[in-house]
Amino acid sequence: MFAAKIDNAMRLVALDTLAERIGLKRGQGAAEARAMCPTLDVVIDDPAADRAFLEGLADWCDRYTPLVALDGKDGLFLDITGCAHLHGGEKALVDDVLSRLFLLGVEARAVISSSAGLSWAVARYGSAAVIAPEDAERVLAPLPVAALRLPAETVALLERVGLKEIGDVLQAPRAPLARRFGPSLLLRLDQARGHVDEPLSPRLPVPSFSAERRLAEPLQDEEHILELARHLSGDVRLSLERHGEGGRLFELLLIRVDGRVFRIQAHAAVPLNDADRIAALFRERLQAVHDDLDAGYGFEILRLSVLRSERLDPAQEDFSGVPDESQPLAAFADKLCARFGPDCLMLATLAESHLPERAGGFAPLEDVAALIGSRPGDEKVFPKNRPLRIFTHPELVEATAEVPDGAPRSFNWRKTQYRVARAEGPERIAAEWWIDGEGHPTRDYFRVEDQEGRRFWLFREGLYGRETSSPRWFMHGVFA
Amino acid sequence: MAEKAVQRETVLSLRETIAQIENRRLPGIVRAAKAADPAGFRRKREEASCNKILPLGVPPLDDVLEGGLPLEGMTEIRNAETRDAGAAAGFVTALAVLCQRRKKEKGHLAPVLWISQALASREAGLPYAPGLKSYGLDIERFLFVSIRTVKDALWVAETALSVPVFATVVLEIRGNPDCLALSESRRLHVRARAGGVPLLLFRQAGEEEASSAFFRLQIKPASAGERPLPDGSMLCGSISHPAFHVLVEKSRAYASADIFLEWNAHDRRFYTIEQSVAPQADGQPANSVDPFSASVGRSIGADPLGRFLAYARAS
Repeated sequence: MFAAKIDNAMRLVALDTLAERIGLKRGQGAAEARAMCPTLDVVIDDPAADRAFLEGLADWCDRYTPLVALDGKDGLFLDITGCAHLHGGEKALVDDVLSRLFLLGVEARAVISSSAGLSWAVARYGSAAVIAPEDAERVLAPLPVAALRLPAETVALLERVGLKEIGDVLQAPRAPLARRFGPSLLLRLDQARGHVDEPLSPRLPVPSFSAERRLAEPLQDEEHILELARHLSGDVRLSLERHGEGGRLFELLLIRVDGRVFRIQAHAAVPLNDADRIAALFRERLQAVHDDLDAGYGFEILRLSVLRSERLDPAQEDFSGVPDESQPLAAFADKLCARFGPDCLMLATLAESHLPERAGGFAPLEDVAALIGSRPGDEKVFPKNRPLRIFTHPELVEATAEVPDGAPRSFNWRKTQYRVARAEGPERIAAEWWIDGEGHPTRDYFRVEDQEGRRFWLFREGLYGRETSSPRWFMHGVFA
Repeated sequence: MAEKAVQRETVLSLRETIAQIENRRLPGIVRAAKAADPAGFRRKREEASCNKILPLGVPPLDDVLEGGLPLEGMTEIRNAETRDAGAAAGFVTALAVLCQRRKKEKGHLAPVLWISQALASREAGLPYAPGLKSYGLDIERFLFVSIRTVKDALWVAETALSVPVFATVVLEIRGNPDCLALSESRRLHVRARAGGVPLLLFRQAGEEEASSAFFRLQIKPASAGERPLPDGSMLCGSISHPAFHVLVEKSRAYASADIFLEWNAHDRRFYTIEQSVAPQADGQPANSVDPFSASVGRSIGADPLGRFLAYARAS
């Protein structure tokens, strides 16, 4: 029994069968319900938790079909086109869903029909498990108009004019109905009858290739999971090879005995179709997610899907004896990314910018082969005299200069005083007004060497007298 | 007679094994015996071992390093304070440039992998691509991995050493963490030897610590030379090529006096510079600097007094 605050009163929003049987209704005040039945267990409604639970159930339903769509707050649509025979027919499928959900402690109703609207209506207001397409209107007729997924005002309006059942609406002429109640009524009616197609939007993209194993005895051991993943990779490999493709993004779906679903994704640096390499990806991933993957009483279904694939031209070994160096490098990149995330391995990049912090940076490694092979290098001209290391955030220093515009004479950085022996500069770098906007202070960079031979890159922010009267000094980098 | 020959052969092979374990060249007697091998089968291997060092082109340093930077195995480079990290990073980068160039001459475009403990790159700054480029590194083949914990960094390094693609792997660690003790460094060293990849362990702001590295060098900053003018004179007050003060802390050969080097990014090689005394402190005479060179195999100079006074027992 769930209650929530609606219109400043605690009202019941959801009840179980038992509560319905003793005469409680949705929308009733919680105090009134308690008066009727003192032993009532009222729980405050938590929509976020409901949503999470529904998502969890949707994940669990992946075992029946990859096309699972959420419906509002309390329903799921499963598109089982072409899947029913895998579970022994439609009736067996419904029984299986309901019995498994019952064992998980979930009270659910399920209907299979030829249209989503009809299933929705019958699951909530009727009682049937499987409806043949030709029975649609017969089943629909005795249901109340609320079963048409209409807004509450339309339902109230329909009931006021005496159209209480869908059968009444079906018999009424269509044109006046549309004029009076708007086009949504007829659309919903046609959707329920299956005359208008209603697309379901699945929660997750459907993988192009996948292989699945259902186990009689649940698996708990990580080694066994990996071994099975390797078997599955072998199955996936066959279909990948047939299409001449290699996977870039793999997903291992683990369904636990109690219905909890785990998804583990692994990226590959190059298109892969080798079973051992795919399994190796998951070895690292499992190591990384070790603590999050709670095996509990074991996993009963494992599925390996290829979420993204690319063309892979089969390479032939040659007799030159020179090993292909990009393969071990790609394997290394995969291992690293599987363990520490895709942004772990970075490649240095140069950008055409005046501002030092924009001119150089790092980007995740994308193309492994280009790293080994020669690339037509576009020789951009970059300024010399740049430091080897740079601070992401320039550090404030206290500097004293002989003349306001000149090089610093001494400065205090990280609580240590440095006396400048030599200085080169200034190199004046103006802010990029097309990005930062006008009014950003100009910087004067100095390359200084202290008396012990350390070389630093300091800058003064703001032109003295013109932009600021008390410029600040920053340490931006260190030279070799 | 025959028995004696067999014994001799056994002794020689044992010596060879010991030399291999200790990573040193073959003792003279074994080498002589091998050279006398009439079939000459092993000579190729012997030559190959000479191939595994990279001469740095600086005689005093090459002498100490027994020919040059070992290309299979670990070399440790450390600096004493965080503020000196620039100089040490410069030296390490210079070695990486040399390794990369050597690979390029052999026809491989090899990437350099720089593994950095996140703390180290936060304290001393991130590698800066334009700076590295002007330093001579092939920046399109510079891979950088920033890892939070030392343990993970070690894992990455070990994994990378099994990939025979990298020109060099740099492992940057801050301080002396417990999880990089003698046994771990031994592990890395063995991996690097097996993988045939030079591993540069860059210990930032770290103390001297026993490790399995072939050599340990301490890098201190040194004042750079001045820029030359076309007429041969020097431009007063200018800062030219980066310079380093190299102290050899661990080596088999006798560690000579402090070595002062300068890195010429244009030529991509080191040059020695004349800097007989350490840079002068302000107002102090030049001869106040300790004229003695560092001794072999121990820390530079004695520990300052009063370092271990705070024992509970003493009070």
